[in-house]
Amino acid sequence: MTTIADELTIERRGHAGSVARRRTNFVIFLGPAIILTVLFFVVPVVIDVAVSFTDLSRSLRISEFTTEQYEKVFRTDRRLSQVIGLTFIYVFGTLAIFNVTFGLILAVATTAIRNASGSFFRGVWLLPRMSPSVLYILLWLWAVSPTEAGLINQVLMQAFGLDAPLDLLTSAPIALIIISNGFIGASMGMIIFTAAIRSIPEHLYHAAAVDGAGTFAKIRFITLPALRWPISFVTIYQTLSLLVSFEYILLLTKGGPFYDTTVYALYVYRRAFESGQYGYGAALALFLIVIGVVVALLGWRFFDMERLLQRPRIEVH
Amino acid sequence: MAAQAINTASTAAFDRAADWDALAVRARAVRRTKAVVLYAFLIAVSLPIILPYFWLVTIAFSARAGVAETAVLWRSMAVIMPVVVAFWLTVALAQSRRQSWIGIAAVAAIGVFAFALLVGPDLHLGNFIFLWEPDFASVVRSRIGEVKGAVQFPNVWHAFANSILIAGAQTAIVVTVASLAAYYLSRFQFPGRSSMLRSLLVLHAFPVLTLIVPMFLMLYWIGLLDTLFGVILVLVAFELPFAIFIMKGFFDAVPWDIEMSALTDGASRRQAFVSVVLPQVRNGILAIAVFTFIRGWEEYIFVFTFLIRNSNWTMSLYMYWVRDDVMGVDYGVVSAVGVFYLVPSLILYMAAQRYLMQMSIGGVKG
Amino acid sequence: MAKIEFRNVVKRFGAVEVIPDLNLVIEDGEFVALLGPSGCGKSTSLFMLAGIYVPSGGELLFDGHVVNEVETRDRNVGVVFQSYALYPHMSVRDNILFPLRFKKTPRDEALARVTAAADLVRVAELLDRRPSELSGGQQQRVALARALVKEPQLLLLDEPLSNLDASLRLSMRTEIKSLHAQLGVTTVLVTHDQIEATTMADRIICMRAGRIEQVGTPDDLYLRPSSLFVAGFIGSPPINLVAGEAEDGMVTVNGARFPVEGASGSLTVGLRPEHLRIGDTGFAGRIAQIEPMGREILYVVETGMGAVRVLEQGSSAGHSTGEQVKIGFLSENSLVFETERQKLIAGAHVREPV
Ligand SMILES: Nc1ncnc2c1ncn2[C@@H]1O[C@H](COP(=O)(O)OP(=O)(O)OP(=O)(O)O)[C@@H](O)[C@H]1O
Ligand SMILES: [Mg+2]
Repeated sequence: MTTIADELTIERRGHAGSVARRRTNFVIFLGPAIILTVLFFVVPVVIDVAVSFTDLSRSLRISEFTTEQYEKVFRTDRRLSQVIGLTFIYVFGTLAIFNVTFGLILAVATTAIRNASGSFFRGVWLLPRMSPSVLYILLWLWAVSPTEAGLINQVLMQAFGLDAPLDLLTSAPIALIIISNGFIGASMGMIIFTAAIRSIPEHLYHAAAVDGAGTFAKIRFITLPALRWPISFVTIYQTLSLLVSFEYILLLTKGGPFYDTTVYALYVYRRAFESGQYGYGAALALFLIVIGVVVALLGWRFFDMERLLQRPRIEVH
Repeated sequence: MAAQAINTASTAAFDRAADWDALAVRARAVRRTKAVVLYAFLIAVSLPIILPYFWLVTIAFSARAGVAETAVLWRSMAVIMPVVVAFWLTVALAQSRRQSWIGIAAVAAIGVFAFALLVGPDLHLGNFIFLWEPDFASVVRSRIGEVKGAVQFPNVWHAFANSILIAGAQTAIVVTVASLAAYYLSRFQFPGRSSMLRSLLVLHAFPVLTLIVPMFLMLYWIGLLDTLFGVILVLVAFELPFAIFIMKGFFDAVPWDIEMSALTDGASRRQAFVSVVLPQVRNGILAIAVFTFIRGWEEYIFVFTFLIRNSNWTMSLYMYWVRDDVMGVDYGVVSAVGVFYLVPSLILYMAAQRYLMQMSIGGVKG
Repeated sequence: MAKIEFRNVVKRFGAVEVIPDLNLVIEDGEFVALLGPSGCGKSTSLFMLAGIYVPSGGELLFDGHVVNEVETRDRNVGVVFQSYALYPHMSVRDNILFPLRFKKTPRDEALARVTAAADLVRVAELLDRRPSELSGGQQQRVALARALVKEPQLLLLDEPLSNLDASLRLSMRTEIKSLHAQLGVTTVLVTHDQIEATTMADRIICMRAGRIEQVGTPDDLYLRPSSLFVAGFIGSPPINLVAGEAEDGMVTVNGARFPVEGASGSLTVGLRPEHLRIGDTGFAGRIAQIEPMGREILYVVETGMGAVRVLEQGSSAGHSTGEQVKIGFLSENSLVFETERQKLIAGAHVREPV
């Protein structure tokens, strides 16, 4: 026989149990992820802000707190404007020529032919993305090698009768970094656009053909309108990733000749790790971090928030 | 009235009934031109990619005495291009499955024969010397009379092991932590859930490369600079938001009924997670695992910045230094290292292609 | 307008032969229905007419000219697709205007024609909406307007009514039919609904697995179905089919014996439910089930040859479940088929057993 008091105790104990379980679950499931995220995202950002107000340099010792780094950014660093100009050319050049336009052309062309052949050509264009960066750039270095053994020089000299080998790394470095990054960037657009094109109902194309549309009219009136979201998605995300990435440039030209291919992100890297100006590097990096957060916030529009935030349907823990 | 309007125009509009034949001829021409133009375009834009990779492979297996020999490249292209075209034609023209198999077999046989005849004699494995000779750089240099290079190379298997260790550990940790977190975010209600999901969305798109300077300082201050452990931790943290995001998608797709019935059968939620839900997201785990492993295997910039001692080198650093040090001396060895480094990546990509495709477009509105 | 002819047309998808050998003539201005079960190749035939699919063999002729390879856009056909295929990102006006873009129609004239077409199918007040803001019936009409606005020489309708509810379907049936009467354009309607086909079309082409089973007027198909398949496909509720052996002028079906004229051997007897009546003569059975269908009542009667469906006029049942009854019919309404070849034996009839 249980009295009312007993039942209350049982209930209370049950309640206490569920609260404890709730806490344990939280710690077990989310604990590791939260710790790692705070440690490696939040803390570095804080460190970056802090260090940008110091004179930290090669000795890796802080001797004073100062706003000198920001003065440098806004006043004294003459090279910065050139770097920013180059960054614009690089980001928008790559984006406009390859990531969006060429990605789109590849997606349209490979979906217009038989599926097996289409996959083959898409596979070829995925090769650069699937290759480790060091290796991919190694191939570029060979291709543009200024000697007669360079692949491009061989083709130009043997097939087109060029007299002396070209040194593209010094004569056209900006074009080279755009193309080498573009070969990789195009495949991203290609994949996303291909998936989007595949999901356009085929009967729309049939209807357009019946209505008199030719190839280009179909692309303009059926394909492109259906790609509005994917195109803006690719544009925004690739802008961001081009803005912050410098791996391929570092491997291909090391930012040179001189500072000719040093884009902003690489400039940060070179200032910090080449010149040992960690404080200045941190200050410069802060601008990238802010841009990164802003663009990532912009990216919210592309995700289905409702689905993401859907409430769980089991309430017990 | 309206019907009238439509009707009267129609007779006038359709007075070209006579040139059906011309239309058919034009249609045939258009169709053919379109196909030719498309294929020509795709082949033209694909050659610049295929050619260097092909060169890498041919040099790795054929170069002697360090010279980048292109004769073999062009000769093998001369065999392979016609073979590929022949394959294409057979498949396109074959009337039945049997015919196309016979055709493919015939083309393959001829191709192999021609290849063995024209290219076969030049093939050898000497360029893979680095696999059994740790001090291959000196050997290679001695061939051209140079004595000593600038770089002291570790055993390649050491770098290989480091890469496997980094990629493997990173994969194990990311998969575990991300599965736990993604499950909790997907299936549990708790205060702060929605803001946590929103910040996850920001983090998963956040460019981690921007954190390289503070991260370097942080590792230095806590004494993990130039240690594999430090690099693993950093890489794990950076992969985590993306992995959680993808895994949450997979967990979201698991039907609630399964879990509810497990609960009514007496399981706790933790038991339900392990025994009922986890098996449902096997594909997701596989995708995340392969993806993370490849990222670890390929990682260059962080290991280049955070690892210094050559006993800590990974394959990417090994490749980098081989390129830097030996390139002018011996193309054959450089490309052999390249092939050795590239092949595992490619195999993994091929194997997991289907999942990776799903992942790279996952979550984006249509 | 056009006269259309299929001559030995074959269509394969890879190794699968969907249409083995199609021969058919459709006269100028005719309204025909392609009727058959799902997957029998109706849409495929229609798409070949539209030029979306190219025949793998044989010839397709418009007005006596081979058009096998003529591009879709040069054929001047109007198509209403099974799913309507309205362009989701365009307003209704732009949807209807779309075909005129490629005819280089002057803007003013084009807009006038859009309005005319919209009036014709009564969607004039919806012109500024998006397709997603329309009901199924409205979408269907917009699709029809888009097909009509360019004054096609051939109108192709691929199961246009299958997504509509019953009452809308009824009214659209009438509307399409009267449109055809007004415009006189050659029209091919694809459907798997025999009522749609019989009520709308001048002629029905009944297909099965890529082959034509029978071509004829609705009456032909109903009264003289050339095969068991057609007999079973046309008519609702479906015809009663019982197989038996004929000997000495009597066909024996599970014990019941009918006098038969003009046939012998293995036969299948077809009796339409609406031709059977419950009365004093005929074969015996017990009413197993009663299904009121509005103005008619369907009795399912358990007999020696199995369950037989009987359709009687009237809204209230004159009999009750379990009652023993006799079922009679008029000899001229009975159909007799060869069981083996599944073909109708013309002129053969059975009579009520005595
Ligand atoms: N593009 C295609 N590739 C391969 N097979 C196809 C293709 N289109 C149709 N088929 C096959 O051809 C057959 C006939 O298809 P069709 O679409 O003509 O049928 P249908 O009579 O219109 O049927 P429904 O009433 O279901 O629309 C089907 O078996 C189908 O699987
Ligand atoms: Mg169909």
